[in-house]
Amino acid sequence: MSLQPPKYSLKFLRWFCKDDYLEEIEGNLWEIFDVDSETSPNRARRRFTWNVIRHFRPAFIRSFSTEPTNYRDMLRHNTLLAFRNFKKYSGSFAINLVGLSTGIACAILLYLWVGSEVSMDKFHENDSRIFQVMQNLVRPGDTLTISSTPGILADALKEELPEVEYAASVIPTDWFENPEGIVGYEDQFVQAKGQLVQPDYLKIFSWEITQGNPDQVLADRNSMVISEELAIKLFGSTDAALGKALQWDQGVSEGTYQVSGLFKTPPSNSTQQFDVLLNYDIFYQRRKEQMDKWSNSDPDTYVLLREGSSKADFDAKLKNFARDKFEAINGPEYLHYVGVLFSRKFSDGYLYNSYDNGQQAGGRISYVKLFSVIAIFILGIACINFINLTTARASRRAKEIGVKKAIGAKRGSLVNQFLIESLLVTAFSMVLGLVLVFILLPAFNALTGKAISLGLDLILPVIGITVIVSFLAGLYPAIYLSGFKPVGILKANVIGKTVDGFSTQMVRKGLVVFQFSISVVLIIAVVVVYNQMELIQTKKLGYNDENVVALKSSGKLYDEMETFVQELKKVPGVINASPFGHDMVGDYGGTTGVAWPGQLPDEKIRFGNLEVGHDWIELLDIELLDGRTYTDNYLAEEDNIIFNKTAIEAMGLEDPVGQTVRIWGKDRLIIGVVDDFNFASLYEDVAPLFIQLYPDLSTVLIKVDGQRTAETLAQIEDFHTEFNDGLPFDYTFMDDDYQRLYESEQRVSVLSRYFAVVAILISSLGLLALAAFTTERRQKEIGIRKVMGSSAIGIVALLSSDFIKMVLIAIMIATPISYWFAEEWLSSFAFRIDLSWWYFALSGGAALLIAGLTVSLQTLKAAFLNPVLCLKDE
Amino acid sequence: MNIPSIGEFEELVLLTVAAQHDEAYGVSIQASLEGKLEKSINISSIHVVLKRMVDKGLVKSRYGGITQDRGGRRKKFYVITALGKAALDQQYAIRTSIYNQIPKIAFGE
Repeated sequence: MSLQPPKYSLKFLRWFCKDDYLEEIEGNLWEIFDVDSETSPNRARRRFTWNVIRHFRPAFIRSFSTEPTNYRDMLRHNTLLAFRNFKKYSGSFAINLVGLSTGIACAILLYLWVGSEVSMDKFHENDSRIFQVMQNLVRPGDTLTISSTPGILADALKEELPEVEYAASVIPTDWFENPEGIVGYEDQFVQAKGQLVQPDYLKIFSWEITQGNPDQVLADRNSMVISEELAIKLFGSTDAALGKALQWDQGVSEGTYQVSGLFKTPPSNSTQQFDVLLNYDIFYQRRKEQMDKWSNSDPDTYVLLREGSSKADFDAKLKNFARDKFEAINGPEYLHYVGVLFSRKFSDGYLYNSYDNGQQAGGRISYVKLFSVIAIFILGIACINFINLTTARASRRAKEIGVKKAIGAKRGSLVNQFLIESLLVTAFSMVLGLVLVFILLPAFNALTGKAISLGLDLILPVIGITVIVSFLAGLYPAIYLSGFKPVGILKANVIGKTVDGFSTQMVRKGLVVFQFSISVVLIIAVVVVYNQMELIQTKKLGYNDENVVALKSSGKLYDEMETFVQELKKVPGVINASPFGHDMVGDYGGTTGVAWPGQLPDEKIRFGNLEVGHDWIELLDIELLDGRTYTDNYLAEEDNIIFNKTAIEAMGLEDPVGQTVRIWGKDRLIIGVVDDFNFASLYEDVAPLFIQLYPDLSTVLIKVDGQRTAETLAQIEDFHTEFNDGLPFDYTFMDDDYQRLYESEQRVSVLSRYFAVVAILISSLGLLALAAFTTERRQKEIGIRKVMGSSAIGIVALLSSDFIKMVLIAIMIATPISYWFAEEWLSSFAFRIDLSWWYFALSGGAALLIAGLTVSLQTLKAAFLNPVLCLKDE
Repeated sequence: MNIPSIGEFEELVLLTVAAQHDEAYGVSIQASLEGKLEKSINISSIHVVLKRMVDKGLVKSRYGGITQDRGGRRKKFYVITALGKAALDQQYAIRTSIYNQIPKIAFGE
């Protein structure tokens, strides 16, 4: 036998040919080849291949489908078997059910939350073309990104850039010191949020105008468009509103306006929430002098780009738009007052809301990502339980698989059977999970501050999650179980070795390690977040905000503030009161327009600027380091100024009290220096600051006696109502405002706590089942050991050591990972805890303790078992 | 029993199977037919026809022993069945009867 037929042709033949004909055909072809090859080997090969190809015809091609043709019967059979298995091994079924349904419930809740975060602001019809113009104020080393833009930008953009279809300047509600204005109709007063917008605003965004002509409602400066909700509050119905004259009181925009139209109240998934729209022209005309300057920024600017135009082109033209305008008018000298412009897709603004030195730096999106990952991990942990339980108990199914294979079941149909089993478990868990979600949703909404409801749009994700989870959980066991060699497993005495070999045990251990690593990471995260939040809440802020009420001023109170404050101090329970222009949680003025003795020619410092009443420093217990505080003589104090410690150090002044600085071109005498206190968020260091006395301010701070707060507040309200002609009494506690600053961190803190609990719970559940299984399998061994004199402790140690080892490895893996994440998160805070070793030791210890307790539940039972019981049969 | 109808090539293969009695297999049938018809025939057509005739019950098959030849593959031998013989007989009868009806005159003299 010298020559062999071409290998690939032969392979091809064997691959496609029906078994019934293969031997005959192959033999005949081989014979022809042998004869041919005596004359010409090449020709023989060619003819062989050709003959193979000629046989590639329907008569000889085998069926490649492994599916049985009796789908319905197989499905019934498999389902029946699955149910019998659930019944027979109800313990592991219950554990799978609990683990998977909890995991699924978590995943669905997080899915809903992520969905609602991601859909914010996406409902506008022209969503893909709406852009907001943003401004980077470039300063060396610290670029500030703001959303306010020059007041004449929108009109100029619309006129000069061909890409812009519509553009609108908008004074948002939070431009005003108090975002709530007051609407008055006859003797009714209602709080309402108002925006001043250019008419194009209604063309850019899809607010639904339900009454009035959308093109005309904002046509003149007397018009006012109000929400249906507000109309119902004021007039009892939406029909009576049109044409009514309303009083509007909110800073610059106050006046009497006529209702020209109604709009549907913005939905909860809109970041823009307002009840009143007024014409931007009112604002523009009243502040014309500033508004015409390119170096002044007040309104937000929104544009609708034409279809087909690109953001990149628009950005290129936008970049130096304001700077060029400014330079053309004012020359290059103060050019750094004007920002570099760029555009941001409007609906991206909610998630990508954070900027660091002019660069986009995450924002809410990082929490969205974080929780998506956590949801996937928790589902993964639940799937791992299923995988481990199924493969660990494989020996129970080995006989079934062996018999089925011996009588001709193909691997594919066995895989199907096991997948149907996992699909059924997942489907049951999904139903349970949905019930859990339904029960937990109100609490979850309260926790996250959302208004999520379950709807039919959940059907697709539910089906998707069910299928994905059943595959994740079922695929490995299905492939593993169906791969058994029937001969091996039908010989009963070798089941253990064939079925549960070294490699599957390693896989299982690896998966347990993975579960516990995630649990430990989550526990460490909880500890770190909790400690950081504690730090923030108890940090010495440098002032005392306990029992301090902040009252927003409006109406007569604003006009006669000093009188109000003096009268207020006479109310019993009021300890002190002072006007204040800001809020200590992020709102403060700022300027670089300060000149001081010894200043270098190019040296500029950005100062914070707080405008306060004369008792303000005393009211907040801020420590005075040098000099004196303000007196109540506003006229005499007009040219005086107080700095904080950081400011004095930044300017490098020795012996500052009595020296003179120039602020905005006016000489000011330094009369005092106060200690540093946090006037913004703890994400920032304390900046240089000056505190100036100012008579008319937006807020009145009232320090009350902590013993009788409610009583005192009622008296203050009475006094306020009388003084302020019945305007609403709108107050907050200052420490509440401070807490609100860290709302999103608080939410993360609470949510991560819950998810850590769920993760460790599901992991322990899996461990419990595994421990139960191992103990059961080693019962005989335990019996013999006990007979031989082993102590109960020794047996517990023997059985537990494997599991404890796994948890220890998990801790070793989790520690560096969580250290890295914790450092990342903490680095965004200027005031932060240091990571100390005991956070990790505590978390690892907790995980170890929980795992140890779980395992010992089973091992103790085994250790105290009477050896006779487990040795008597066989 | 209904005698299935057979095509021309089927008839030729069936005749060869009958003629080689118990020794007919793919290659031998091919060789014999190629010799008789003096044209080349692809082995795949023989296989297809044999398969079809097995399905119709005209021939039956058995395997031979394993030898060193043919890459160790067994030969599959075909034997004509009673039904196959009946089909051949019927075919032969029809042909002969029609043949006999040809008038001598038709060919002229």
